[in-house]
Amino acid sequence: MLRNRVRVGLALAATTALALSGCGGAGSSDSGGKSGGSSSLEVFSWWTSGSESEALQVLQNAFTAADANVTFKNAAVSGGGGSNARTVLATRLQGGNPPDSWQLHPDQDLMSAVQDGTVADLTDLYQQQGWEAKLPDTVKGMLQKDGKYYAVPVNAHRANVLWTNPGLLKKAGVTLTDDTTITDFVADLPKLKSSGAAPICLGAKDPFAPAQLLESFILANVGPDAWKQLMTGAVPFNDPRVKTAVTQFGQALTYTNSDSAVLTWDQAALQTAEGKCVVTLMGDWAYGELVAKGKKDGTDFSHVTFPGTKGLFDFVGDAFVIPAKNAPNVAAEKVWLTQLLDPKVQSEFNLKKGSAPVLKGASLDGYPDYQQGAAKDFQTLPIVSSLAHAQAAPAEFATTYSDAVTSFLGSKNVDAFLKTMAGAQKTQLGS
Amino acid sequence: MTTSTAPHARGDIAASPPVTRARRTSRARFRAAPWFMAPSIVLTFVFVYGFIGFSGLISLSQWKRPTREDLALRSPFGETYVEMFKEQRFQADMRNVTVFTVLFLAVTVVGGLVMALLVHHLVIAKGLFRTVFLLPYALSFIVTGVAFRWIFNPTSGINVWLGDLGIHNPPKWSTDTTVAFTIHHAGDGFWQIDLGIPLAMLPIIIAAAWQLSGFAMAMYLAGLAGIPAEELEASSMDGASWFQQLRRIILPQLWPVTVTCLILLLHTSLKIFDLVVAMSGSGPGFVSDVPGIYVYDMMGRANRYDKGSAAAIVLLVMACVFVVPYLVRVYRKESKGA
Repeated sequence: MLRNRVRVGLALAATTALALSGCGGAGSSDSGGKSGGSSSLEVFSWWTSGSESEALQVLQNAFTAADANVTFKNAAVSGGGGSNARTVLATRLQGGNPPDSWQLHPDQDLMSAVQDGTVADLTDLYQQQGWEAKLPDTVKGMLQKDGKYYAVPVNAHRANVLWTNPGLLKKAGVTLTDDTTITDFVADLPKLKSSGAAPICLGAKDPFAPAQLLESFILANVGPDAWKQLMTGAVPFNDPRVKTAVTQFGQALTYTNSDSAVLTWDQAALQTAEGKCVVTLMGDWAYGELVAKGKKDGTDFSHVTFPGTKGLFDFVGDAFVIPAKNAPNVAAEKVWLTQLLDPKVQSEFNLKKGSAPVLKGASLDGYPDYQQGAAKDFQTLPIVSSLAHAQAAPAEFATTYSDAVTSFLGSKNVDAFLKTMAGAQKTQLGS
Repeated sequence: MTTSTAPHARGDIAASPPVTRARRTSRARFRAAPWFMAPSIVLTFVFVYGFIGFSGLISLSQWKRPTREDLALRSPFGETYVEMFKEQRFQADMRNVTVFTVLFLAVTVVGGLVMALLVHHLVIAKGLFRTVFLLPYALSFIVTGVAFRWIFNPTSGINVWLGDLGIHNPPKWSTDTTVAFTIHHAGDGFWQIDLGIPLAMLPIIIAAAWQLSGFAMAMYLAGLAGIPAEELEASSMDGASWFQQLRRIILPQLWPVTVTCLILLLHTSLKIFDLVVAMSGSGPGFVSDVPGIYVYDMMGRANRYDKGSAAAIVLLVMACVFVVPYLVRVYRKESKGA
């Protein structure tokens, strides 16, 4: 019997050793000596739809032109607003296998990554390229912590744009301009209904779309300074102005299309251009999508800033970072980042993407009217970060907000929403 | 095939009596057994129980962002569970998954039984119908989810036919925020949701039942084949109607199959994720959200590893509540029988 026990023990020990040796192998990819051999640059983003992938192609071409020896690997992951991509990225970062460069939003999204210690310090690169003088001040503030820069921005999208159908607006007898106030807009909603189409198209299948719509209502009611204070908890969410905004949002929801829960944001934008609804709120990434589908600015669709938000730029930006540890190909990564803020690349990329260049003085030749206006506004207006896109606050608070909006879509309970958000401000912000 | 050989019939061909020979080979088999069992046991302990324990630890810890590990225990013990159960979203998830499990199991098992009875009594094309009913089981949930999303689209799916039939107020399917048969309304107390049957879950139940009732049918067909024909013949000679036969003879003998079917389908229904994501996502007011999606969102989007792990542990407990007593009963019966 003792011999049996010894054999059992040996069997167990052998198996455990086998299993543990598999676990120990993960650390070996740390060795920097490996980097000389691998000649590829893996870029991770969530740019997979039409205009986004064309814009990414511009960056790819620029990189390949700068360094033809390195293969560009497009590791984009699709899924509304990047939620799937973030999950994949988190898994890879935890496993010690980061891509060469990945996309994220500046401001709090970047700050969380900096606190984790996953992104590399780029201050040397900034000084080398002299980028500090070429970026707007507010944007610079969103890219640095304690004076060190951690990301390279590429674009500036505006989230507070209301896309309209001019024909249906005329039919309803409503005029919307940049100067329309939010109360006038809410009062006009019943008139919009008389045009025969749904007044507001909402693509609620993507959770960020209704979150962004509510965000626009809040911005219209509180203004840029109070918005920034909302994001730090200095102004509580149950402020009366926010309550008004949420109530207006609830009213607006009764004027949305009946199939909003099954539409994605781009389907909603397309429906506006096709005459199935009168207006839709979406960031100007919708502009690229509409143009790619053959719609004409001015005839099929038009645009105004969301009523009441003329004086601010609700900023959703993208920036690229490189890993702090286990970086596969550091030399190629630096070349990649340098190309991102090349003036010609900035012009071409943002033209395709439908956004505004971040580089001061990038040429706007060939830009359609909308984009010329947006680029000018970006350089002149106060900039606030978007909460619906997890830029203005850490991801946990942004998800609480997004979930609270989803709950609100079902219950229309304003007080419950405000209570959840005020509670989240106390427990989740400031960490 | 050799005929049965009793030991005495073979005479003394074997050098030693069969009893000693049996003992010697069983001892040899026993010596080899640990070598075969050890890898499975060790790997099971590490990858199943070890990781379950680690998930439990994470659910009690302060680990929020995936890339910022923090296994220090959270201050009021189990506070993550309390926080989670007070959330509107998680309460909706619990309600939805309970409703889904109960209705899905009922429809699938009953549907499978009906199909099995029909197929069992078919004279022609039995194999064809069996295959056709079982084919949906071969699909991925994503495929089923996308197809049924198109079918249940409120403006362009089956509602178009209903409109043609004259029903001008067709159901809103997965976009409906109504909760039917509410036993308790959301209020200022603990419950922030209406307790009842969310109508948005019905299309998902239909899709899942369509996919899995073939599986239940296959299990029931096997069970039906095991019912001795003599009992049914004897009962019909005694004048039993078809329904009495079903109730008194067939169904009691199918009880073990039913229990197995329920247990196997239960873990599918508790874990349901890809079907819901493909069909409707979380839905307005979280009427079609399920804990599977909650875990995914908490881990990925919300950077709350602790809440995601807590939800996973809750699902595990829910599954264990049914599976563990079943397994205990099965093993007790086996050891009594042996």
